[in-house]
Amino acid sequence: MVRESRVAEGDLSDEALLAGMAVGEQSAAVSFVRRYQRRVFGLAYSMTGDAGVAEDVAQEAMTRVWRHAPVFDPRRGSVASWVLTITRNLAIDALRLRRAVPTDPDEFSGAALRSGEHVPEDAVPRGDARDTVRAALGVLPVEQRRAVVLAAVYGRTALEISESEGIPLGTAKTRIRTALMRLRAAVEHAEGARDG
Amino acid sequence: MGDDTRAFGCERYAGDLAELALGSLAGRDRARALDHVESCPRCAEELEQLTRVADTLVQVAPEVDPPMGFEVRLFERMGVTPADRSHRRWRVPRWVPVVAAAAAALAVGLGLTLTSSTAPTVSAPARTHDGVVSAPLVEHGETVGRVAFGGTQPWMSMMLADSSARGTVDCVVVTKDGVTHHVGSFVARAGYGAWIAPLRVAPADVRSAEVVSPSGTVIATATLG
Repeated sequence: MVRESRVAEGDLSDEALLAGMAVGEQSAAVSFVRRYQRRVFGLAYSMTGDAGVAEDVAQEAMTRVWRHAPVFDPRRGSVASWVLTITRNLAIDALRLRRAVPTDPDEFSGAALRSGEHVPEDAVPRGDARDTVRAALGVLPVEQRRAVVLAAVYGRTALEISESEGIPLGTAKTRIRTALMRLRAAVEHAEGARDG
Repeated sequence: MGDDTRAFGCERYAGDLAELALGSLAGRDRARALDHVESCPRCAEELEQLTRVADTLVQVAPEVDPPMGFEVRLFERMGVTPADRSHRRWRVPRWVPVVAAAAAALAVGLGLTLTSSTAPTVSAPARTHDGVVSAPLVEHGETVGRVAFGGTQPWMSMMLADSSARGTVDCVVVTKDGVTHHVGSFVARAGYGAWIAPLRVAPADVRSAEVVSPSGTVIATATLG
């Protein structure tokens, strides 16, 4: 009977773990940390390129998730999106505070693409939006990829991108918009293919 | 987009939606774009789709093993004590939910808490500022959970803790005219569960809510009015 009253931690959804954390369940927090630490640290490290800074960011992000689990609103997006956005924002703050140099967006994209370990057409059968976006990112023109990564990951405005890339503001806006629209089209195409 | 686009003036904001979704639009441009989105369902939908893609972009970063000792330092900082680390399977926690996150968020919004370690108390139905009504679920004189009703498209949520409910149970509401309405069935694990579902009667008409076992025994009742 013991077997029936137990479940593998992997059986619980992210939402279930977060709900447990919201009511102070330490076991839920432990499972959540173990599930997310590689992604959280990976994002922080990909952005900062510094293991020490990345650890500070990742630890603070996880601590905030634990502390703020009760205010997570599933209607606003997924748990992964919430956790990684917290991480991203902390990494941006850390880079600004320390006046550190962020990794080049091409390095971020390259690491992301290498982590996919498959070609773009594989994205559809795998059925993961991350795979689809990763694959679509890989086929964007490099200037559009840089622009959308600078905006989405590094939190740069179009004006900041125009200055850092040495291009007119209108061009920066166009690159950001075109890149995001192409990524969206890829996601819609993949979802359409999955839905038959 | 055609005529609708012209009617809402969408073309002025087409370029801003991407930056809005990416969170990189600021100042007056952001305020103007948000104002437009609030009044334009088409652009609101477009923004939602773009935001979903923008959120996914943050998630494509590679996974990287943290440095040695990361987990120990983190748990210490969080004030969390892991149980037996080699024990990869654990008991069904008391909060295992069906749609727990939604219910938990709702409960927080209502200022509700449920813990098994505190002494149970029974309190009267409460109405929040946004018209949501909540009431304790009572089993043998003790509070074992909470129900809440509300919304313009009515919903009902229920949270159970330390109840005698086991397995699949039914949730019913009794309206003021004495009619019983089945709302749905859900799984209570070891007396715990959280659940949220559409309600097909007006929340104001609900007199009580009940958790009922498959044999028809009323396990817990919440009285609303």
